[in-house]
Amino acid sequence: MTQELYRRLAWTGIRKNRRLYLPYLLTCAGMVMMTYLVSFLSSSEALLRMRGGDTMRACLNLGFFVITFFSAIFLFYTHSFLIRRRKKEFGLYNILGMGKRHIAVVLLWESLLSAAVSLAGGLLAGLLLSRLAEAGMCALLGGGADLGLQVSPDSLLRTCAVFLAIFVLILLDSLRQLRLTNAIGLLRSENAGERPPRANWFFALAGLLLLGTAYWMAVTIQDPVSALLLFFVAVLLVIAGTYLLFISGSVAFCRALQRNRRYYYRTSHFVSVSSMVFRMKRNGAGLASICILCTMVLVMISTTVCLYAGAEDGLRARYPRSINATVYAASPEALSGAWTAQARSLAEQVTDELGAERENVLDYRVLAFGGLVRGGRVVIDPDALQGVGQSAAGLWQVYVMPVEDYNRLMGAQIALGPDEAVIAAAEDGAAPNGTIALGNGEPLTVVSTVSELPGSSLDSVQLFPVLYVFVSDLSAAGRSLIEAGGEEWMDCRWQYAFDLSCPEEEQSAVRDALQESLETLMEQGGEEVVGVGCRCFAEERVSFYSLYGSLLFLGILLGVVFVLAAVLIIYYKQVSEGYEDQSRFDIMQKVGMTKREIRSSINSQVLTVFFLPLIAAGVHLAFAFPMVQKLLLAFGLTNLGLLMLVTVACYLVFAAFYLAVYRATSRAYYSIVSDARAEG
Amino acid sequence: MSILDVSGLEKVYTTRFGGNRVRALRSVSFSVEEGEYVAIMGESGSGKTTLLNILAALDQPTGGSVRLDGRELSQIKESQLAAFRRDHLGFVFQEFNLLDTFSLEDNICLPLVLAGKKPAELLERAQQIAGRLGIADLLKKYPYEVSGGQKQRAAVARALITSPRLILADEPTGALDSRSTDELLDLFAAVNRAGQTILMVTHSVKAASRAGRVLFIRDGEVFHQLYRGASSDSAFYQQITEALTALTTGGERP
Repeated sequence: MTQELYRRLAWTGIRKNRRLYLPYLLTCAGMVMMTYLVSFLSSSEALLRMRGGDTMRACLNLGFFVITFFSAIFLFYTHSFLIRRRKKEFGLYNILGMGKRHIAVVLLWESLLSAAVSLAGGLLAGLLLSRLAEAGMCALLGGGADLGLQVSPDSLLRTCAVFLAIFVLILLDSLRQLRLTNAIGLLRSENAGERPPRANWFFALAGLLLLGTAYWMAVTIQDPVSALLLFFVAVLLVIAGTYLLFISGSVAFCRALQRNRRYYYRTSHFVSVSSMVFRMKRNGAGLASICILCTMVLVMISTTVCLYAGAEDGLRARYPRSINATVYAASPEALSGAWTAQARSLAEQVTDELGAERENVLDYRVLAFGGLVRGGRVVIDPDALQGVGQSAAGLWQVYVMPVEDYNRLMGAQIALGPDEAVIAAAEDGAAPNGTIALGNGEPLTVVSTVSELPGSSLDSVQLFPVLYVFVSDLSAAGRSLIEAGGEEWMDCRWQYAFDLSCPEEEQSAVRDALQESLETLMEQGGEEVVGVGCRCFAEERVSFYSLYGSLLFLGILLGVVFVLAAVLIIYYKQVSEGYEDQSRFDIMQKVGMTKREIRSSINSQVLTVFFLPLIAAGVHLAFAFPMVQKLLLAFGLTNLGLLMLVTVACYLVFAAFYLAVYRATSRAYYSIVSDARAEG
Repeated sequence: MSILDVSGLEKVYTTRFGGNRVRALRSVSFSVEEGEYVAIMGESGSGKTTLLNILAALDQPTGGSVRLDGRELSQIKESQLAAFRRDHLGFVFQEFNLLDTFSLEDNICLPLVLAGKKPAELLERAQQIAGRLGIADLLKKYPYEVSGGQKQRAAVARALITSPRLILADEPTGALDSRSTDELLDLFAAVNRAGQTILMVTHSVKAASRAGRVLFIRDGEVFHQLYRGASSDSAFYQQITEALTALTTGGERP
């Protein structure tokens, strides 16, 4: 009987506070749904059977933990809003004679009810959407799928267990809060006096400085390696700077405005500026969190979309033809050995046997290594390279090729003497005096520079700038490099690649056969051949897409979770602001402000408060752009236009979504504020 | 010439479902002359607050008329109402109603800022009035930093700064201790001697006894009124007490 009473009290508690509880329950359900979906997909048989399914499963398993972790944090945070608003009610119960023990029972019932509602709702939605998510995932992996509606009991259990644990933790936290307060404290907890915030110029300046440093770093970084190293430093600086600026900088800024009498004592500024000081003090941290969440979502989604959309480019740069065979020779001299002819005829034989036709054949020898290029000399000596250390400045990716191969592939007729060379360089300054020297060799006169290259282009995919040197005598060039101590650092490769127009399965068969025969060749080839490798573009593409597709999928999922969290924070901010503004609204009206003046003043404040994070996120994103671009270079993405387009599109979509949320939640705010008039 | 003319004022509240009709004001008529200090007394529920809200144009009567400075309140357009309130009326509330986001100075300046006055001018006026009310040193403080009495002085300063035709005070001593009450009442008396018209709604006999005239309201009607005439504060106090006793126990007009 008494349990019945507690249950009813809990239920009315939830219903009476539906303005607060409904969004909380919806978010809980949303989080449950996302978690179930991720868990379901990671155990989906249909997906696992697909090519690349195992990569995706690993990604999703990781995603499960990330999502669980964020769900816990967000639900904790939003529930603290709920408890803060309800303390008064509990105080009243306490004064009416309910012990804390009884209130605890009511709280327990409330937790049970909200857990039941959100688990049921979330799992139901998850079950309904799982089919869609699976189909979407299959599409991302680049294949069709025939799936029926499936239920994964394991995933259901896993999700339930995780969320029950979260709800228990939240309950324990509310009980702890209940213990800490006494009856009068509970009753009064809503209107504790608030100190006027003081401007902390030191922190404001520190925030500005940190943010400035991070921006400066992002803009000035030149090469992808330093970008990789410094990215996290910059992220930390931006986070710290954002918090400091939102918390202290905003107050300091308002204070500065107040000092300017001509600005401050104007009807349109007076109320807004002075209320903003308090609003920013209360909301600074929350807004900074929203801003950082927004930035994270945007960076994550735009990079993953970009990686996904640019996968083809990246692949093309690495695997210029359908079948790409590489044979590693023991020395530069060995590249001219008899085995090359043998290998070439093997490749022809294999394709002919399988009835495939070779097109666009690429066939060349190359010495490939990373080296320093200084004052017209390519340095490969290990001591010099060691000294480069963390900074990658001055490091180049160098390819040395015989000019006869170049002539053959490009249909050119360049004749070079032994002390002459032709170069192609991605950046200026490789041959400042019109000469280039390789290792210990004599300087070679650069007779011309070219920009057309066989099978790739200068601006494609390298961490470092690329330098091609075409020489008349490859063996001589190789000797000078080896004498300079570069033996270990240098690959001597024979590249053989060609396009096939047959279906992908047959291409795979060609690759397998070629790989096998090249391996036999290596065994027979004695010491001249040290390694072989044969890659098929179509196969590589599958693994590329499974990786980037799962990254994209995770990016979108996490993006949705972050957005949910941001929405909830915005909503609760609006509601709590609304309750606090009720009384002010009343006083202002009595003092002689028109309703319209009040409305426009409040409107401008609320707009500022809620759009500041979005604008700041935009600025962060703009400054992050050069850095992200360098980072993506490391993933082989060079399409600047695509990145820009995707980033801007993501920002616009996000802004539209944010605006919609703001509009929906500001309605709640106004209804609270105008309630005050109706009741008062 | 009378500043405020109230005649036949009636206010009927209809409960939400339209069933019960509550008559808060039955037929209230009185007028206030320029420079007068009038107190309105009555028990809880007698309609005092309703009356004050109607006088402040925060609520509309269901019958009768209110003329302030010769203008019929119900004729003033909604859009001009706020400006009218700002220019003609000053408010002092029981709960002070200072905005906690403003320093005392800014609270006092608020009506003038809304009226679009220049910073130099309004800051000077605020200084001047704060000096008169003895809170010149507290101007930079925030409401939560000062005592109740000081808050009420700031509220009075805010009411006076526009030089309104009429000050409406709603239980101004209700939240003050006895010393602050005395100080505030002295202040009101001084302001009134300087020519300011004041209309005060109160429970407190002590507060009412400082006024020049006391109106008694019961069941939504002006039931009785007392003029101070030449009597001292304490003699007037005695008269008011007797009238109240009669009001609560008897029912017949004394």
